[in-house]
Amino acid sequence: MPEQSQDEQSLAEINKSLYREGMTDGLPVIPPTEERVEEMLLGTDKSPDHVVGRLGNNENALTVERLAANAVMAGCLPTYMPVLEAGVRALADPDSNSIQFSVSTGSWAYQWIVNGPVREMLGIETGSGAFGPSFHANQTIARALGMAYRNTAKIYPGEKDMGVMGNPAKFSMLAGENEEASPWEPYHVTHGYDEDDSTISLAGPNSWVQWLPSENTGEHVLRGMIENTPSSMRASSGEDLNVTITHAINPYNAEELEKENLSKQEIKEYIVENSYYKTNEYTRTFGDEEKVPPRQVQQYADTDAVKVTTIGGPGRVNAIFGSSIGGPVTKKIEFPDNWESLLEEYSIEENWVPTEGFYD
Amino acid sequence: MGLVTPGSDTDDVEQRPLVPRVDTLAGKTIGLYDNGKPAAEPLLTAVQEKLEARYPDATFSWYHVEHLNQIKNDDEQDAVVEWAEGVDTAIGAIGDCGSCTKFLAWGVELIEDAGTPGVGLIDEGFELDYQSNAIERGRPLRYKKTPVRCETTDLERVREEVSEDVMDGIEDELTRPLNDKERAEPVAQ
Repeated sequence: MPEQSQDEQSLAEINKSLYREGMTDGLPVIPPTEERVEEMLLGTDKSPDHVVGRLGNNENALTVERLAANAVMAGCLPTYMPVLEAGVRALADPDSNSIQFSVSTGSWAYQWIVNGPVREMLGIETGSGAFGPSFHANQTIARALGMAYRNTAKIYPGEKDMGVMGNPAKFSMLAGENEEASPWEPYHVTHGYDEDDSTISLAGPNSWVQWLPSENTGEHVLRGMIENTPSSMRASSGEDLNVTITHAINPYNAEELEKENLSKQEIKEYIVENSYYKTNEYTRTFGDEEKVPPRQVQQYADTDAVKVTTIGGPGRVNAIFGSSIGGPVTKKIEFPDNWESLLEEYSIEENWVPTEGFYD
Repeated sequence: MGLVTPGSDTDDVEQRPLVPRVDTLAGKTIGLYDNGKPAAEPLLTAVQEKLEARYPDATFSWYHVEHLNQIKNDDEQDAVVEWAEGVDTAIGAIGDCGSCTKFLAWGVELIEDAGTPGVGLIDEGFELDYQSNAIERGRPLRYKKTPVRCETTDLERVREEVSEDVMDGIEDELTRPLNDKERAEPVAQ
């Protein structure tokens, strides 16, 4: 990259230059000046040339410094670096299958779920609108990880990233689990971590469906989880391709399921046992001329193919993410020694609510 | 103050020469490399049928990747190389989606690693994808665009679409002598 001076070049010119080189997501970015990158590196104890992960065809190295440059561009705070480092380790884990889902015609998105104390420390939203715009950490962390993948693996739409439609959620699908409102063990505990650990989990779905049960009862919620999942969202866990779906249940509906004393595992079993899709085409396979084709077949091969998490705010709307052809993989977030002082120095308060003072 | 590049350093990928082509397919053992996509087998089946008609003394050897993703595994890669060492030339299919085009390039690259000239068959919409993956892997791998639209598995339809012109093109890629760029000694990209 040519030497560019902050004084010599305007914000617009630097943005134009970075865009021309394919380094952005198309939106304006904050120029990754040496000064800003140095400040971002306050969020890590690792040396700038430490390789966090290797990505893409040739396992290109993503160093701490390059990750910090992407974090600057995305608008992250230095305190987000530990989450970003763990996210890169998830992307680099072969089980994430990011090498495939990042370039596939299916336009798969990077889906991130954050668990543990880090959610409160960084203001990662878990409640109303958690997957939507507005929340600084949710949006900038997902954006930084998406750009870091693209800039490291060197994939571009229509070149190596062959997503037919593209995906508006590709670089923005991140939420914290609403552990406090969940009746079940947190998502990361289900996947082998301690409750006090902070983690980030990656999956690769290309679609999501939002739905609500016709009645606010556990049985209707369970039925709705099945009936609102498109038959195209099929899943089976496996060594070479782990295909999963994730049910994000809102706290109200999770409460109804709790009243039925249903564990996460029992919910998954119910879904697997009761989910089928119709085989509408009359097809015979060679050698099976005497057999009548089945009218319906099982939608999920096993309970490992179904994931459950509690996310969102008040209301009855739930979401189904799928099918994911990557992960899920979960990585522990490790904090630098100066973590407490960093948190004090870098924080963004939300002062959005206009009723303050009226109802005291 | 300068900028810190957010991209990785990848400008030093050396481009290695392609393996010299065979002069004719007559009497040769032709490898058919199925990369695990459902459309690969019918396409290669149609190609084999037409090559058999042209070269009755040619023999064929198939390699099937059971699932597309398995080409990422070292064991699978070793097996592809071992198989490719036993054929005179090889045709790979199919590049008709983002990941399968990538992994087809990986497969053809392994065939070339084995010292066997290879050609990938791709949907025409995935030409740039194949090229960029090939260059990134370190060889300007050859390919032939086919009119068979991606994910087509109807063998009868594939037979019709793999015309004699298409076969001429495949044969040309398998036998046309290397040009200067393809023969070149390793150079930085």
